[in-house]
Amino acid sequence: MSFAGGIGNEAPLKRREFVKIMAGALSATILLPAAARALSFSKSPVATNRLRPPGAVPEEIFAGKCIRCGRCVEVCPYRSITLLDVRAGVFAGTPIIAAEEIPCYLCMKCVEVCPTGTLLKIRQEETRMGIAIVNKHICYTWQSLTICRTCFDVCPYKEKAITLDQLRPVVVEDQCVGCGICTHACPVSSEDGKKAVNIEPIHAWERVQW
Amino acid sequence: MVEKGRARIHRIRLLVLSGAFLLILGNPFLNFYLQINFVQGWYQSFGIGNLWFVSPLEGLESLLVAKQIFLPTLMGMLIPICLAALLGSVYCSWLCPISFFHELLDFLRKKVTGRKFLKDRLILPRRILWYVLIGEILLSLVLAAPVFVFLSPPGLVGREIMIAVFFHTLALEGVIVLLVLVMNLVTRRFFCRYFCPLGATLNVIGAKRKMRVIQDKEICTDCGMCDHSCPLGLTPSMGMAESVYCWNCGECTTVCKPGALEYHWVRKGDAGSVKESLPTAPSSSDPHQ
Repeated sequence: MSFAGGIGNEAPLKRREFVKIMAGALSATILLPAAARALSFSKSPVATNRLRPPGAVPEEIFAGKCIRCGRCVEVCPYRSITLLDVRAGVFAGTPIIAAEEIPCYLCMKCVEVCPTGTLLKIRQEETRMGIAIVNKHICYTWQSLTICRTCFDVCPYKEKAITLDQLRPVVVEDQCVGCGICTHACPVSSEDGKKAVNIEPIHAWERVQW
Repeated sequence: MVEKGRARIHRIRLLVLSGAFLLILGNPFLNFYLQINFVQGWYQSFGIGNLWFVSPLEGLESLLVAKQIFLPTLMGMLIPICLAALLGSVYCSWLCPISFFHELLDFLRKKVTGRKFLKDRLILPRRILWYVLIGEILLSLVLAAPVFVFLSPPGLVGREIMIAVFFHTLALEGVIVLLVLVMNLVTRRFFCRYFCPLGATLNVIGAKRKMRVIQDKEICTDCGMCDHSCPLGLTPSMGMAESVYCWNCGECTTVCKPGALEYHWVRKGDAGSVKESLPTAPSSSDPHQ
């Protein structure tokens, strides 16, 4: 593209071409990373052991409903609920619980104060923050290394949500509230920081009935 | 006597602003260290016991994006909307923590430069405010995520204080607050004037407000002090204090020496009937000269 050489009648055409190419390059450099960023910008922070507080609406509308008033964080007596910052994109300012750090102890204070119905008023046993999944490959009891029943002992719905099958822990899926107390208590950690029992927030991905 | 009463409006406003700021400053400490949960939140949603307030724009965004009616949100929006409909956008000038910082910054600037009023260096058309409001609501609907709720400067102040108290850190988005404050040194209340969607919402709600600053043309001496004093850069001397943009801060009534500008309670919603309207200044001092 020799722009300086354009003299006489050919100059406007060349200039137009130049402008076109430059505009294309500029928009590509701006738009492509923006599109890539937009994808991560709207990616939900909910994942294994990263849970929404009790009564949360599905992730599909969570960012839309929550007005980031932080009242659930302020009333949480265990400091389980933390706030996300702008690195979470549009989810900045929404509440999240890191189950392996501080789990939810199901005091149900946060659902009382939510002004937008993002956390719906539900009872303790109706809470479905996720489902505990026992990783049988690293659980000491399932591996017959020792007899550990820490998760069973700490479970607030003992004998209902976690039962023992020949002293090995088994999660009853329709009873588990997903509070993460078992994850917090589990003494086994794998290399990626996960425990032998983890909470999978499968209910967060339900579709909304309009 | 009258002048003293009017100067009081300015002082009362600063007191209310400071009190409103102290409330959201002290509340996280109460919640965190003393576990007193009676009051929660800040001016996005504020809960005092069972009395809830929800900011009108945030509530509206939440309802629009989620496409679900949730009654507590509407009930929480009721009191702020009634307040704005009767008194105009007094939230902005009397309660907003950003306004508190602006006043603080103005105070420091006066101390440093010794000049009482700042000349507005960057002036934009005022109707940008409406485009920002419409654009913001449209963008929220397109993104299916409310934009203002996590980038609103007043909300960010509360959130930063809470994050600092609870997690001993600060969130990155607080830069927006600093940006807003820096722009205040270029043009007074630059963000509030042209870019605050919440202010625009409250202006729309308060377009037919009852409490207005009305100019008495017979007393006015055209000194122009009110035009200098208006933090929004309006010209009360030309009756702009009655426009939708006025946020009823009462600064012009404070500086008006002859007392031509006063708060009035407009009865029939027509601004022309000054003589019939009853003066009800918050100072409750004698309105007659």
